[in-house]
Amino acid sequence: MLTPSHITELRAAVGAEGLITEQSQLQTYECDGLTNFRVLPGAVVLPCNAQQVQAVVRFCARHKVPFVSRGAGTGLSGGALPAAGGIVISLARMNRILEVDIANRLVVVEPGVINAHVTQRVASQGYFYAPDPSSQSVCTIGGNVAENSGGAHCLKYGFTVTHVLALEVVLPSGELVQLGSPTLDAPGYDLPGVFVGSEGTLGVATKITLRIVKRPEVVQTLLAAFDSIQAAGQTVSDIIAARMLPSALEIMDALSIQAAEAAVHAHYPVCNGLLLVELDGPRSEVEALMREVQALCRNNGAWEVRVAQSEQERALVWKGRKAAFAAVGRISPNYIVQDGVIPRTALPRLLSEIDRMASAEGLRVANVFHAGDGNLHPLVLYDRAILGQEEKALDLSYRILHLCVDNGGSITGEHGVGKEKQEALGYMFSEPDLATMQLVRCAFDPESIANPDKVFPRPRLCAEKPGPYTPHPLETAGIAEIF
Amino acid sequence: MSTSAALTLEQGMAHLASIVGQEHVRLHGDTIVASPADTQQIAEILRFADANRLAVMPIGSGSKQSWGNPVEPDVQLNMTRLDALHEHAWQDMTCTVQAGCSWAAMQAELAQHGQMVALDPLWPERATVGGIVASNDSGALRLKFGGLRDLIIGMTIVLADGTIAKTGGKVVKNVAGYDLHKLMTGSFGTLGVIAEVNFRLHPLEDHTRTWTAVAPDAAIFAAPLRALMDSQMTPSSVQLRTSKQACALDIRIAAQPECLDEYAARIQSIFGQIAIAESSEAVWQARQQLFDKNDAVVLKVSVLPSELCSISAELQQWAAAEALDIATVGQATGLMTVALHGAPDAEIALIERLRARLTDSGGSVVALQIPDSLRGRIDVWNCHSNALPLMREIKRRFDPNRILNPGRFVGNI
Ligand SMILES: Cc1cc2nc3c(=O)[nH]c(=O)nc-3n(C[C@H](O)[C@H](O)[C@H](O)COP(=O)(O)OP(=O)(O)OC[C@H]3O[C@@H](n4cnc5c(N)ncnc54)[C@H](O)[C@@H]3O)c2cc1C
Repeated sequence: MLTPSHITELRAAVGAEGLITEQSQLQTYECDGLTNFRVLPGAVVLPCNAQQVQAVVRFCARHKVPFVSRGAGTGLSGGALPAAGGIVISLARMNRILEVDIANRLVVVEPGVINAHVTQRVASQGYFYAPDPSSQSVCTIGGNVAENSGGAHCLKYGFTVTHVLALEVVLPSGELVQLGSPTLDAPGYDLPGVFVGSEGTLGVATKITLRIVKRPEVVQTLLAAFDSIQAAGQTVSDIIAARMLPSALEIMDALSIQAAEAAVHAHYPVCNGLLLVELDGPRSEVEALMREVQALCRNNGAWEVRVAQSEQERALVWKGRKAAFAAVGRISPNYIVQDGVIPRTALPRLLSEIDRMASAEGLRVANVFHAGDGNLHPLVLYDRAILGQEEKALDLSYRILHLCVDNGGSITGEHGVGKEKQEALGYMFSEPDLATMQLVRCAFDPESIANPDKVFPRPRLCAEKPGPYTPHPLETAGIAEIF
Repeated sequence: MSTSAALTLEQGMAHLASIVGQEHVRLHGDTIVASPADTQQIAEILRFADANRLAVMPIGSGSKQSWGNPVEPDVQLNMTRLDALHEHAWQDMTCTVQAGCSWAAMQAELAQHGQMVALDPLWPERATVGGIVASNDSGALRLKFGGLRDLIIGMTIVLADGTIAKTGGKVVKNVAGYDLHKLMTGSFGTLGVIAEVNFRLHPLEDHTRTWTAVAPDAAIFAAPLRALMDSQMTPSSVQLRTSKQACALDIRIAAQPECLDEYAARIQSIFGQIAIAESSEAVWQARQQLFDKNDAVVLKVSVLPSELCSISAELQQWAAAEALDIATVGQATGLMTVALHGAPDAEIALIERLRARLTDSGGSVVALQIPDSLRGRIDVWNCHSNALPLMREIKRRFDPNRILNPGRFVGNI
């Protein structure tokens, strides 16, 4: 518990305007995008520079008070869930773009900068920031760094980690260190490489040097309708075998098409397997490859193949795809979102297995996936009003994750482990694997005050189950879709 | 045996032979060379070494053995028996390969399905996967495909105490747990032994063409290089070569065959008056050739991409003033290889001048290959990071008894 003298210390660190202790105001911070976990923090601080972050973290180190960093709170695994009675460090006020260096294709930002603002800043010079989580209009670079966020186009462009050159970090001791350098291969261990994706457990990022990418000359998007997911999946394999690297490859099944149509009228063909292929690059190249993709689709029995003819058409195709999650709310009262990864070739086998598991429980599962990299987002549909169905749905979604691991995959492709999947991490990794990760944790944070009780499975606790999905306020407001 | 008084060489030999078999242990000077057959044997060797405080140097073909600070190991852990490509899931575009496999052997197998690990390291015929990863080597393809940190998706490692740990996995997209494989990449064998690596793969680049422009001075290339990098073409490699005689800029593009002529025209227009012509793949050997002279100093220099031409030009001027022979090969990513040859004092002066010059932009100069005349006279790493205490703490946690390549890495880690 924070004492009045603690509060005085915190006020000295961030000023009265940077400190929140009012119960009603604290409630804003009690959860992230995984809204069924809620914990009230002891205080929220809103530092405006690295020195203030240091002062707060030093306070935490001195008194062994846990702290949790927070960006926009859009995380989907409970990463920004406060520690009870601990401090939430909101980076929202540290939102300046500090430097734009087009010649070196880099941008230096504070952690509270919103993802989409980076691209907005460099767009006029023909550049963009490649990682594009669909929450990009609200989520922060600090949150992206912590989660190693991906987006629709990471198949070709890579994840956040590919685009982070250097970091300034306040360690859990309160020290300020530079990890990496704007130049490549700074001598020493690749600390930015481990920090990215560490979900707030190794310190607070206070400055980030990002890589930006030149906009491709043209982008073309194709939709193909198949009678089965298998045929769509085979086409993906054929595209890969033809030595192409599309910027996006997405598949939707009949249920999710139905949901997306109901929500945004994307004019999708009604079919069992819809494939979306996006190619980008120099014009002549893209045009040549797109002809090849069309032929491959037809060879696999696609009965409708459309290339978006205008930017509006292209936007509509994506709108349907991105709306699929929230849209599921139109065909089912409740649903759970999962985020598993499998080797792409395991897809047909896994889908039949998920089908079998779902029917055995009398449930439906809609499937949307980043087919290029095997990242699936199964949506388990259920009705809370039916007694016992929620438990069944939770259990099913959890077993789907185990199935991913059993098939050589992962329990999370982009949403992170956080609070939600701690137990599942223990299913994916053995004790020695986890103990080795803990060595890193202990080197950075010997007292375990940075986002404690996250990521790693806790001994002696019964298995956690992922919670039912409650649409994020951003979704309800139509600002962002889960994707 | 230097670090352990309690153990005789004979005892050490006998114990290691009991792990890997008599025929896989030999003596090289005072060092026992042991060649394990599998991960389990690596673990047993390390457990034994850790208990007896024996310094261990993991080694592949030894092609980069002299990089970093010198280490006098009690045990050389020769990885070359672990040389299998365990899995090539070509439809998933991933593979799992043992650390002792030579780069070229791995690539030859992957090529059967038209795939590759998109990296062109030094001495591919000899160099092993483990050594390349531990030294974070990369070549001209880095511009398009990124470095090892972007290509490695998982690893099996063995810690000093014999713990066998897996990190990452076999899928490209995966954010579960810490990415220990990133920590291991470039750690010069100081944190653990890399036993197996999982890579993501790319399709082979079937149709490529290389063009070379020549000019008397590297500075002339600054404007066209910037225009090229700002264009919407996506070259696989761009390198600037300088020597006393001439400067050349090489560009390699991979594309559909019918598109290559169009690129040629675009490149021509970017270079305007500067002479440019199609050249051969052989130019991409230039970096490796800088290591050919045994008594040359070879530096890995990292600069901001925008500084590549100016630094290359300055280096030529400085070397001329000091009567040093110099040749440089710099990638458009800002990673340069620089070979120096001349009087030791002049070599040292130039290295120090370059380090001072790069302080502001965050660049670095690591001496990879140095002749004996320079050993002990320069800090090969020159790491001034304020994260060095953190790096030391990581080392302490992973290898508390400092048995793995002690002293080899930055800050004598
Ligand atoms: C509608 C919707 C769609 C989404 N789509 C995608 C998607 O397509 N791809 C994807 O990858 N994710 C997606 N997400 C998940 C989420 O947006 C990402 O994980 C995002 O990166 C979180 O950013 P944030 O600023 O909201 O971070 P928060 O949720 O506030 O925090 C996330 C984690 O980061 C840590 N953290 C925050 N700032 C810092 C810092 N400065 N230093 C250290 N740690 C810090 C927190 O402690 C926490 O562990 C989606 C979420 C929603 C609600």
